[in-house]
Amino acid sequence: MSVSLQARDVVKHFGAVKALTDGQLTVGEGEIHALMGANGCGKSTLCKIIAGAVSPTSGEITFAGEKADFASPRDAERRGIALFYQELSLIPQLSVADNIFLGHEPRKGGFVDRKTLTERSRELIGLFDGVSGQGLEPNVVVGDLPPDQRQIVEILKVFAKNPRLMIMDEATAALDGRQSERFFEILRAKKAQGISTIMISHRLDEVFAVCDRITVMRNGVTVTAADTAATTREEVVHNMVGDVQAPARHNRLDEATAPVALEVRDLSNFRVSGVSLKAHRGEILGLAGLQGQGQSALLQGLFGARPFTEGEVIFEDRPLSIRRPGQAVREGFAYVSGDRGRDAALSGRSIFENLVSALTVRERLKLVNPAKLKPRVEEVTKGLKTKFSSLDAPIGTLSGGNQQKIFISRWLATRPKLLLLDDPTKGIDLGAKSDLFVLMRQLADEGATILFYSSEDSEILDYADRVIVFNGGQISAELKGDGINAVNLARAAFGEAA
Amino acid sequence: MIALGFLRSRPWLITLVVLALLVTINAALQPSFFEPRVLRSNLATFLPLVLVAIGQTYVILAGDIDLSVGSIVALVNVVTVTIIAAMGGTDLAIWVGMLGGVGVGLACGLFNGLLISGLRFQPIVTTFATGIIFAALAIWVLPRAGLPVPANYWRTYGENFFGVPLVAWVLIGGALFTLIVSRTVFHSHLLAAGGNRTGAFQSGLRLGLIRIGSFMIAGLFSALAALCLTGETASGDPLLGQTLALSSISAVVLGGTALAGGFGGAFGSIIGALVLGMIGNVIFFAGLPFEYQTLVQGLIVLLALAGGVFVTRR
Repeated sequence: MSVSLQARDVVKHFGAVKALTDGQLTVGEGEIHALMGANGCGKSTLCKIIAGAVSPTSGEITFAGEKADFASPRDAERRGIALFYQELSLIPQLSVADNIFLGHEPRKGGFVDRKTLTERSRELIGLFDGVSGQGLEPNVVVGDLPPDQRQIVEILKVFAKNPRLMIMDEATAALDGRQSERFFEILRAKKAQGISTIMISHRLDEVFAVCDRITVMRNGVTVTAADTAATTREEVVHNMVGDVQAPARHNRLDEATAPVALEVRDLSNFRVSGVSLKAHRGEILGLAGLQGQGQSALLQGLFGARPFTEGEVIFEDRPLSIRRPGQAVREGFAYVSGDRGRDAALSGRSIFENLVSALTVRERLKLVNPAKLKPRVEEVTKGLKTKFSSLDAPIGTLSGGNQQKIFISRWLATRPKLLLLDDPTKGIDLGAKSDLFVLMRQLADEGATILFYSSEDSEILDYADRVIVFNGGQISAELKGDGINAVNLARAAFGEAA
Repeated sequence: MIALGFLRSRPWLITLVVLALLVTINAALQPSFFEPRVLRSNLATFLPLVLVAIGQTYVILAGDIDLSVGSIVALVNVVTVTIIAAMGGTDLAIWVGMLGGVGVGLACGLFNGLLISGLRFQPIVTTFATGIIFAALAIWVLPRAGLPVPANYWRTYGENFFGVPLVAWVLIGGALFTLIVSRTVFHSHLLAAGGNRTGAFQSGLRLGLIRIGSFMIAGLFSALAALCLTGETASGDPLLGQTLALSSISAVVLGGTALAGGFGGAFGSIIGALVLGMIGNVIFFAGLPFEYQTLVQGLIVLLALAGGVFVTRR
């Protein structure tokens, strides 16, 4: 089989961060190639480099026998490489047909050739005939479609470019079983025409059923590449995780004696479906898995930011129906997001204002009395060793780590009973991280319940009392005691029961 | 449900019904309404807003906004009359003056586009500022209103061609332009740019060119509006068109275009602009005092917004 794409010694630094230190990937013509690895292993970066969205620091990529240093995604597209975007590239106001052919519409002069556009869209939609559900028509507006049909449109958009190499990053995430099955049939048909696919998937099942070869990455380095037939699931998981040293276990909470604080049953919202779990008082419950498998959605749902459409939440023996964050705050819930700019920062405002915002809601304060409030919040920030010149300085004068400490302090000041941590350590330094973990344990010991999601598996493994692993919006495994280790976590993250 | 879906893709149909209603009321209040002379005079009054609204639509569709259109109208007006006067008021001078005016309009649009798309300035603030600059330039070019244009200019503007007044031809031309543009690739890229800018970028669209193009169309149509206004006023006035920016935005919204961008079309804006004009007419002939006109105009725009929300919301 001749080689379609070869990436050699690819390195990418983002400032001081080395996202990719030794990326290697060889994809044969007409091959479906799985790229596997845990969070942050560099697979997405490598794909973006191949698709021209990111330029490598060093390394060499050849495509179809020619050197490929693409200046932009457009450039890569012209050469026959198309990348699947997770819903991001659809225009909700435009029709299905317009979206599928956006940027390369069939034309007559400068005009859109509507007839051809509709016909060719109908042909492409026909690929999913019988499984796409009702109402997927060329002239329907994309904003009116359910998530699975949108994802089909996004897939068709890739097909419409007639690429020689497709990069499918979690392309089946929103599809149901029959739709995924059809998608793989199409990939196999494309393979017969010599078209290659790089597939990133959160399901080992899929990978072993569909892919010809598997490349495994770990910590920015390509570890192995092997034919699917010549490897096993155990081997792949082992390669993703590396040699695991027996972790130094600290005293984990004995859940048999701790009372249940939070119980949820069959919760569903935009990204989770049928999630049931219990969390105990004084427990740090880790939520793990690959990124975007429903962990954040669950936390945001509990906080009322993305309310659940189905299911029950019982907190301290009372059923709750939380539709807005304000309600959650008054119940004693706190939510710390890793995306500070989007979810937390009142940018341009003082540190003091950033600190008291949750307190004012929790205590229903109508007037803010700085003289009374300042000592209270100052005490909290001291506990976190937050460094700042004055409470009146703008929030922007602080480093990322110190800002995050301020936002955590914001919630600590409310004395939360349930702390929802949504990847809280994203982009903060090691010192700030360890301060945070000490504080988490202290809060738990004082009786708080903590739901802790982190995109870094090691944080979960080291600090959680119990771990729930998510896969495709559902819980794929629960890890306890000695079962909490990297291999079990990786297996569960890829949809294998532990 | 089908009817609602049909309306959702053509929200200007509602505006058209409103327009028909207003015409009926107006005709009842003013029996001479359908006389050619009255129709022509009404149309000539509405035309500048219609043209500016057409241009504004493309900017709004791409997710931006242009508050400088009124000042562009003033600047084009004074530049045109100054050139014509400087060249001695011959027929050639008229043509050169008009071309110069159109050039100025396009240049203003290009300037806005480069600042907003190239340097990533905020459209509202930027065009507010450039609007002040354009207005200042207009005062610099012609400090005081005056400088009459040759009779040939305004006489031609008032004439009939093939039995139809020139102003009607301009309206027909504007409508044809919107219908033709709505079928172009440029137009769907414009909608994409306004609908989901990240997505449009990831789909490989040249956002910079698209957005600059939309501002240049707005500049072009402001220039055309200025030339029509010059035909009406027959002289230069650096303070012309001051209310046009916000009126044109109202007309665009009335015509069913989403202010956030990504949905709508310039044909609706034509109807929207005519509705705005007719509201003034009806109130005038109903004998309502002038001070109510603005209030009612505001209420109607609010109603239209409410209607738009009702139709487009699921």
